[in-house]
Amino acid sequence: MVDLDELSLAIEDGDGDLAVELTLAAIAAGLVPQAILGAMTAAMDEVGDRFQANLIFVPEMLVSARAMRRAMAELEPILVEAGIRPEARAVIGTVRGDLHDIGKNLVAMMWRGARIEVIDLGVNVSAEQFVAAVEANKPDLIGLSALLTTTLPSMRAVVEALRRTDLGGARIIVGGAPVNEAFATAIGADAFAQDAGAAVVVARRLLGLSDHPSPPADRAASGSGAR
Amino acid sequence: MTTGRERVLAAINHEEPDRVPIVIGASNATGMKAGPYHGLKRLLGVTSADRYIYDWPELGTILPSEQVMERLHADVRGVFDSFPAATLARNAARPAHSPFIDDWGSGQVEVEDGTWYPGVHPLAEATTIDAIEGYPWPDMDDPSRVAHVREAAAALAADGRYAILATPWLLFSFERAFAMQGLETFLMNLALEPEFAEALLWQIAGRCKALMGHFLDALGDDVDMIKIGDDLGTEQSLLMSPAMYRRILKPVHADYIAFIKSRTTAKVFFHTDGDVFDLLDDLVEIGVDILNPVQSGSGKLGNLAEVKRRYGDRLAFCGAIDTQHVLPHGTPAEVRAEVRRAIATLGPGGGYLLSAVHTVMNEVPAENVLAMVDAAVEFGTYPLG
Repeated sequence: MVDLDELSLAIEDGDGDLAVELTLAAIAAGLVPQAILGAMTAAMDEVGDRFQANLIFVPEMLVSARAMRRAMAELEPILVEAGIRPEARAVIGTVRGDLHDIGKNLVAMMWRGARIEVIDLGVNVSAEQFVAAVEANKPDLIGLSALLTTTLPSMRAVVEALRRTDLGGARIIVGGAPVNEAFATAIGADAFAQDAGAAVVVARRLLGLSDHPSPPADRAASGSGAR
Repeated sequence: MTTGRERVLAAINHEEPDRVPIVIGASNATGMKAGPYHGLKRLLGVTSADRYIYDWPELGTILPSEQVMERLHADVRGVFDSFPAATLARNAARPAHSPFIDDWGSGQVEVEDGTWYPGVHPLAEATTIDAIEGYPWPDMDDPSRVAHVREAAAALAADGRYAILATPWLLFSFERAFAMQGLETFLMNLALEPEFAEALLWQIAGRCKALMGHFLDALGDDVDMIKIGDDLGTEQSLLMSPAMYRRILKPVHADYIAFIKSRTTAKVFFHTDGDVFDLLDDLVEIGVDILNPVQSGSGKLGNLAEVKRRYGDRLAFCGAIDTQHVLPHGTPAEVRAEVRRAIATLGPGGGYLLSAVHTVMNEVPAENVLAMVDAAVEFGTYPLG
């Protein structure tokens, strides 16, 4: 009997080998793909919560996301076969003039963990590139990142350019070191996310998706103990 | 009349000088980019050609002219090491806009005109001790690295007006590991391959110590502060858990600081960005004397009163003037208020050197730089008002 809680724990602990093994075992045991997927997203929710609470830090978050990605690679063909689609699609990038990408990458990882398909445009992305990517991909979310204060005008320019195009209801989320709620409002973004954990919460709120059910308390406790 | 050096020495020894010392232009982390510098030159009628620290235009940090430094009431002057002559010559001869590769083999790429970013990571794929041992590490005994140091430091010491902040251009272990591997890769290796990560940190630290030894030999007694550092914080928190810091990186830092203190009586000036509040006990314990840049917009470190209350007797502070909002986007009046607040909080009893949180970036108006230093003179004169 495959215990999906153990799959969640393996991802939370960043144990990619175990996460893959348990995913393959779950598939072989004929568990419904939604349930396997649910265990993975629950794990990444827990990772995001712990990150926001300063219980884990960037290294642990990176290895959890990597374990999730490896496990997901095994599950993806099954999901496709079953016609299970991601919950939403996002386009993300670091705005022009800025090359810092760890914050943007962490948000992309956490969004993927929340079953949001992410099209990552990379760094130094111009307003034109954002607009073209939005037109081509019809996302539900657009994420803009910046670390340098120097690039804040660039973030404003991207939002202005996006507002001039047909966004088809896509919502704009901004974040990064010099960005705050007031700036997000001032430049016409839909929301500000303080960190990668918050980015998931904010994305779900904007998309009208319910928060993933919290894992049972006993599992969360054993997760901390295993660390 | 009190000299800048006397002012700084009093402050870093936790005594009240005649006024709060001002640190600007003396290192990369307390430096200024070309934008505000050109504005200052215009305002002050300075026409001398631009120079860059480490003769490294791609880094973009100005070595301000003495005329500008004096107008900024700068109390500290920098002494730097040099890239090896061969590295400088190779980069000077390279095709325009091609990557700048340093002596470690890591480097910067130009993403658009004049914008350079770390993009060459020679150990990006490495995960084994063999890969570390097989890497062509730079020769730290190359005499061209420190050939000018003795003379530069002696001239400043003979002049006597300014405190000397000496900075070998070393990204120290943690940041150099980012340069060698890429930030994300190395952070992941800290969690996944701790033995490898630790070995890489110690390999780098050994090179840094070798250069530091030559640098300190050349400086002799002509130095007041040795600047080292590693960025440990983020906007909200730390780049790694306190437990991981204590297990892996703190021993590397402790060893390096002990080495410096065994060779000089200069104070250890430790630069570390972000909210490092939770590591301040550790930094005090391993011998940090001066904390920089006190990133006042980040997390718990933003509570300057608490930082001063808990650590003011053991740490001096250099920095705290916000560079994310106030200096680039504030009015001169808002800059004055920020300076006044920082001095009122960190200045009592000495122990505070006023400086921007990290480099004054390109979009900061020159008027705000002048407002900062003039307010420091106005509000920083002891006894504080």
